[in-house]
Amino acid sequence: MHGRVKVRTSEEEKARKEKERNEKLKIFKHAMQKIQIKRKECTLDKELLELTGNVLSSNPDIYTLWNIRRDILQLFKKSNDNIEEMSQVYNAELHLTEYCLKINPKSYCAWHQREWVLLTRDDPDWQKELELCNTYLKLDERNFHTWDYRRFVVSQCKPSLKDEFDYTTEKLMDNFSNYSAWHYRSKMLVELYPDRKGGRPIEDSHHKHELKMVQNAAFTDPDDTSAWFYQRWLLGAVKTTIDLVNYTVTPTKNTFAFSKHVDKNYVSAKTKLLINNCVVNGEWVSCTGNCYDVLWIFQHSTPITKKINIKVEYEIDNGQKQIIQGVECKEMFYIGKNQIKFERNYSEAVIEELKDQLESCRQLLNLEPDSKWTMLTTTIFLHCIDAKAYHTEAIQNLQKLKVIDKLRAGYYDDLIAKWCIEKQLCSDYENADLALKFSFPSPVSSLPYLQYYSYCDSVDLSNQQLTSNIFPSLIVLQHCKKLSLENNNLTTMKNFPDLDLVELNLLGNEKLDRNEIELFTKKYNFNIIY
Amino acid sequence: MSFTTKDVVLKEDRPKTLLLQKHSDYLASYGLNKDDYEYCMTEYLRMSGIYWSLTAMELMGQSSRMPKEDIIEFITQCQDSESGGISASIGHDPHILYTLSAVQVLAMYDRLDAVDIEGIVRYIVSLQQEDGSFYGDKWGEIDTRFSFCAVMCLSLLQRLDAIDINKTVEFVLSCMNFDGGFGSKPGSESHAGLIYCCVGTLSICKRMDALHADELAWWLCERQLPSGGLNGRPEKLPDLCYSWWVMSSLSMLNRIHWVDKKSLEEFILACQDNETGGFSDRPGDITDPFHTLFGLAGLSLLGNTSIKPVNPTYCMPQETIDRLKLKPQILQI
Repeated sequence: MHGRVKVRTSEEEKARKEKERNEKLKIFKHAMQKIQIKRKECTLDKELLELTGNVLSSNPDIYTLWNIRRDILQLFKKSNDNIEEMSQVYNAELHLTEYCLKINPKSYCAWHQREWVLLTRDDPDWQKELELCNTYLKLDERNFHTWDYRRFVVSQCKPSLKDEFDYTTEKLMDNFSNYSAWHYRSKMLVELYPDRKGGRPIEDSHHKHELKMVQNAAFTDPDDTSAWFYQRWLLGAVKTTIDLVNYTVTPTKNTFAFSKHVDKNYVSAKTKLLINNCVVNGEWVSCTGNCYDVLWIFQHSTPITKKINIKVEYEIDNGQKQIIQGVECKEMFYIGKNQIKFERNYSEAVIEELKDQLESCRQLLNLEPDSKWTMLTTTIFLHCIDAKAYHTEAIQNLQKLKVIDKLRAGYYDDLIAKWCIEKQLCSDYENADLALKFSFPSPVSSLPYLQYYSYCDSVDLSNQQLTSNIFPSLIVLQHCKKLSLENNNLTTMKNFPDLDLVELNLLGNEKLDRNEIELFTKKYNFNIIY
Repeated sequence: MSFTTKDVVLKEDRPKTLLLQKHSDYLASYGLNKDDYEYCMTEYLRMSGIYWSLTAMELMGQSSRMPKEDIIEFITQCQDSESGGISASIGHDPHILYTLSAVQVLAMYDRLDAVDIEGIVRYIVSLQQEDGSFYGDKWGEIDTRFSFCAVMCLSLLQRLDAIDINKTVEFVLSCMNFDGGFGSKPGSESHAGLIYCCVGTLSICKRMDALHADELAWWLCERQLPSGGLNGRPEKLPDLCYSWWVMSSLSMLNRIHWVDKKSLEEFILACQDNETGGFSDRPGDITDPFHTLFGLAGLSLLGNTSIKPVNPTYCMPQETIDRLKLKPQILQI
């Protein structure tokens, strides 16, 4: 029951209402009984059509009654060759659905019946249906049933895509706060204006045009959230690729880390391990046992010894082959690191537009320093334009957002962690260190990109705010020998992954139960400090 | 500026503690009077009504107050021997929505043997289409809700192998939008209820990796309004049932900490009716079993220990999911 306010009424009023309801109920029950009997007798006639129609007029969600009507209409169609007569029957049915939609504009059943009629009759008038959508969307511009129905009608009568795109412009000019229209627009934008040459989702000049339009909308009413989501999407609508980020080859274990989840077919088709220039055959197994994974283990029988030449041939998205040379970081421990980057590939023209908009945002922020959306957008622009150069300012802004928009403090915390880890990864991938240690101004509570550190033999995650929730993610630390989780918020050792550790530090996790740790230590033969 | 955020204001005299006994009494007496107007008018969704009430009672540890044997007998009478599907009530037609509700109820009662399981499997298989989508019944309505019903139902019956899982996943992914969310079919606008269905489908099919988790979870946490309540789409009023659709999705995404738990809890508690018992969509509205379940389940996700742990994928007690040895996927962070 949605949106029915409880009202206090007098006893007299209550009694009157009760009597009214009893009357209604009697009629309802009688009708339903009659319908059931006729259906059992297979008397699918005009009377049954009328009976079901009467009940549906006030209860459009009784799905079985619509089923009965479809049975009747199908029977009519079979036994009636007169197109005009059938046309009238179908018109009456459409009329009933319209009546029902006035009672309940969100009735799934009534909308579906309308679709069914249009698809069943021989003479559907799609133009009329499109006009009906226009009318209904004037009454309620956010009714997703009407929008869905519009897409159905459009799929049948196929007006030009541009017309529909212009329709969303028109709706948005009426009212920018129309998320449904922004949504519909996003679907058509990538179909109408893809950038086939550059492989970007949206062609440059249109990307710029949309960014301008959405900024105009967002600045009209900074507290209306609709446009901001569309803007965030536009900023993220860039070409993305899957990369092999690193691999580690040791006598006991070979692992390959990817920037995204990939399946076995992908890994085996794109990745070749070469030892002394000979391709090695073997079996790919995912690290977690899932079909899609970010870390893959390669099992083979070629011995790994000192001073051999290890390299990996990886086919990137455009079909080109990449050679990643392995380095023997310590004895019989070979690592190949790819070049990594997290910046988005905007075109020059879009970057210029973003810089302009950043300037406007900063001006607006000067006027309203506590405006959440202006602050967030400024921060996203900074990150998109030059994450490295603006890192400190962006993180400071996110810290402020934790105060301005405190309901979502957890989100900002994780975003801070993500951007800090991205920055650290870029420098960690330029040196040969096998140890990982996070020491950011604020502790992290999540571990994005952990597979990028799968080659590390020493992982220091001390003094963070990690909970036992992160345990399953640690499975990617396949080469880690020394793991420190000192001074975190661990509460249980349940779901701790099967790792080949030498030492595990659990000191300073006050909520961990000592008995549980003792049981845990009995299960494993590595040194556990607690 | 003309824009105002759509929200409600919580009153000072609102309920601030959990009224468990009242909710249990409310659900126990719901439907005792078979001539009650509301009860009769909702016959077309009776099977789901039973699922909402029983699950709520289970979460409160009060399911013994429900007429178990009558319910099981009712379910067996609602199975259609021809198609194998189950209807909302006697005299109504089978539909995947009510087939799922019936299977959930029987799973909680550990009485799946009471119905023709092969019949149900046959029915669900018959509804899958070439593109991986599912009809709700033989009349051809397509919706991602039905995809979720299909995989949830079959997994409870340990028969997920009966359908084409890859295609099921592919169809659900074809409904993903610019904001990372999902709608009811390809092209449909994102909606928290349908996001729950799609994320739940991927959780059961163990393909959570296919989500754009950060974008989606951000959109979901932006559903929280100053009152603490959650809405289902941008610029809409808060509604208690979204405490479930949004929070369960965030749980599966392992990002429940992206909303403010304390103010959400206050909003949920404010939706209780301290006279009649039960929860409503918003403070001051009329209560019903649907919102009563989602209020309790939401509080359970927030860690309220006087309610049993609920499984975020199945919206059933965790103990039932454990007993059936089901392991729906939670995204790793």
